[in-house]
Amino acid sequence: MNKLFFSILILTIPFFFTACDKDDDNNDTTGNIEIEFDNIALENGIQKQLSLVTPGSTEYQYSNALGQTFNINLLRYYITNIKLEGPNGELYEDEVSVNASGTKGIYLVDESDLETGHITLTNVPSGNYNKITFTVGVEENGVQEGAAGGVLDPATCNMFWNWNSGYIAVKFEGQSPVSNGGVSGVETLDVSSANGIAYHVGGWRDMEGTAFVYNNKTLSFDFDTNAKVSGNEQPHVHMVFDVLSLFKGVNDIDFTGNHNVHKPLDGVPIAENIPAAFAFDHIHQ
Amino acid sequence: MKKVILFFSLALNLLSACKRDDVVDEDNTYTLSPPSYFPSVLYPLENNPISKEGFELGKKLFNDPRLSIDNSVACSNCHVKAVAFTDPQHNPSVGVFEQSGTRNAPMIANMAFQSEFLLDGGVSHLDFIPVFAIENKKEMGETISNVVVKLNRTADYPALFKAAFAEIDTITSPYMLKAISQYMLLLISDNAKYDQMLRGEIAFSEEELQGQTIFNEKCATCHAGALFTNHQFINNGLDTTFADIGRALITETNDDLGKFKVPSLRNSMLTAPYMHDGRFKTIREVLDHYRFHVKNSPTLANELHKSGQLGISLTDEEVDNIILFLETLTDYEFIANPKF
Ligand code: HEC
Ligand code: HEC
Repeated sequence: MNKLFFSILILTIPFFFTACDKDDDNNDTTGNIEIEFDNIALENGIQKQLSLVTPGSTEYQYSNALGQTFNINLLRYYITNIKLEGPNGELYEDEVSVNASGTKGIYLVDESDLETGHITLTNVPSGNYNKITFTVGVEENGVQEGAAGGVLDPATCNMFWNWNSGYIAVKFEGQSPVSNGGVSGVETLDVSSANGIAYHVGGWRDMEGTAFVYNNKTLSFDFDTNAKVSGNEQPHVHMVFDVLSLFKGVNDIDFTGNHNVHKPLDGVPIAENIPAAFAFDHIHQ
Repeated sequence: MKKVILFFSLALNLLSACKRDDVVDEDNTYTLSPPSYFPSVLYPLENNPISKEGFELGKKLFNDPRLSIDNSVACSNCHVKAVAFTDPQHNPSVGVFEQSGTRNAPMIANMAFQSEFLLDGGVSHLDFIPVFAIENKKEMGETISNVVVKLNRTADYPALFKAAFAEIDTITSPYMLKAISQYMLLLISDNAKYDQMLRGEIAFSEEELQGQTIFNEKCATCHAGALFTNHQFINNGLDTTFADIGRALITETNDDLGKFKVPSLRNSMLTAPYMHDGRFKTIREVLDHYRFHVKNSPTLANELHKSGQLGISLTDEEVDNIILFLETLTDYEFIANPKF
């Protein structure tokens, strides 16, 4: 029985290949779209490019809502479950799969490697899209599948919490002169670093009345025009992430206390600021 | 296009299914085949199909001190096969640089049926346990990334990983973690006298039967079912204030102060010392605790202070019979199995 099946498959495989070839020539049904996540500092309505400093630097480029100055060593976050929708029922849901050989549909945007902010979605059905939805942080499906490769590889991603397994959604490290240092479990600093501030914000599950809190955020944005996807048009959607908004909005973050955040519960005030830190900016067609 | 790919991968799956069929060993040695009365498998096996090569690789890793920072401590230092993969000597278990943690190493057996690991449930997937153990300063003190570098440099591991996971060219951490899980998943202890009795192969003595009855009456609310645990976090009255706050470390709520995972009692005659900190050396001390020394605190389990009475009332004879019953939970085949 198995043998028979086997030979039928062998015989049919060449047809699959030709089928694939044909599809690739046909440019009309699908296309690519690029989503860019551009990290910025929004000061008085003006978007400024971020600059990272070497850990320990005492040059402070930014300030929070309380007027406390700070700088940034590291900024990194996960984007998952990207969904695009259009006015005529167009729908594209980026497939998420997680296994040892790698991950699909989970992106780690790292300010120290600007390429990581450019996400190209392929095989998007041709059509017009005017809305994007995505999740900041790795959801249960990324955690409970077990050890994973690619951007979730616990040996290389530097985003894995080993004592309370799960991934950090947004990782920020830097300095502020008002901080009294002493941060621990941090990538770019250690307890002896003066003025360190570290915010490792995450949490993929809620357990009533406990420190397990869900801190991932699923956000939707409408575009101002349609992004037109087709075989020969690859639109570029420009999203911005304002790092200053991490520290204000719903909750003003004070760098003089609670500046060493590593647990879901401690990260709630920042997580609540995350939605307003992202914004749709523009589309290049 | 998508459909074609789906079809194609379906075809590939079928192909590999055929291939797998040919190599399956007659006695199911490398498949997870627990008895029907065990709880359901909670590990997502579809993500990590067990093979002989993966299991053997996991076993080698488990016994390899190169997983620790100074190449001195293997998983098997603290999880010793002869005593159902617990730590017989140390209380608490000693890791790299002779540092000791605060906890006593629990049994590694029947891991496939759990979804919360460690005594406080801090780790929610078996694959991630080695990350915790390797990166714990008081266990193996190493980083996962450095272990991966070390393994890639060895003479033997690259080929063994390739044999277990055909798709890879260099060793990466998820494959190492999956291999160790494959080994731990097959550590199934299901052939104690108790199991033979359930299968009708032998009968219990009068005393063993009485022990079972009294155990079911007094202990089985917590030590429940075929694995003798209800998988809950419970305060069984060891202390009034807690040096180790247990589950509350993870949940950060006072309701969980001093609560620890109810351990399986399979092989418990082998797993001394007992409790999270290994404070009791013998099973009689454990029973004395339940009879005479249960301490009150706001989180103490209700069963242990029924109608104003602290502890569990047992006669000397009942204690003897409970111990005889616990002896039927020892799986000598498990600890002698050369495969493990
Ligand atoms: C220094 C001793 C030591 C070493 C080395 C060690 N462990 Fe452990 N292990 C422990 C202790 C102690 C615990 C309980 C820790 C806790 O609850 O916080 C534990 C818990 C576990 C558990 C959880 C069992 C359960 O029922 O929840 C597993 C699985 C495990 N270890 C596997 C491993 C593996 C795999 C390795 C090697 C990568 C390893 N251990 C290395 C001491 C050790
Ligand atoms: C209310 C729940 C509860 C009841 C009832 C209970 N236990 Fe336990 N038992 C626990 C918990 C929780 C632990 C683990 C405590 C720790 O790790 O500190 C434990 C630990 C043990 C251990 C130590 C196992 C090990 O490997 O360290 C033994 C043996 C044991 N119990 C036997 C019994 C017996 C026999 C009875 C009945 C007389 C009983 N228990 C009743 C909750 C219970």
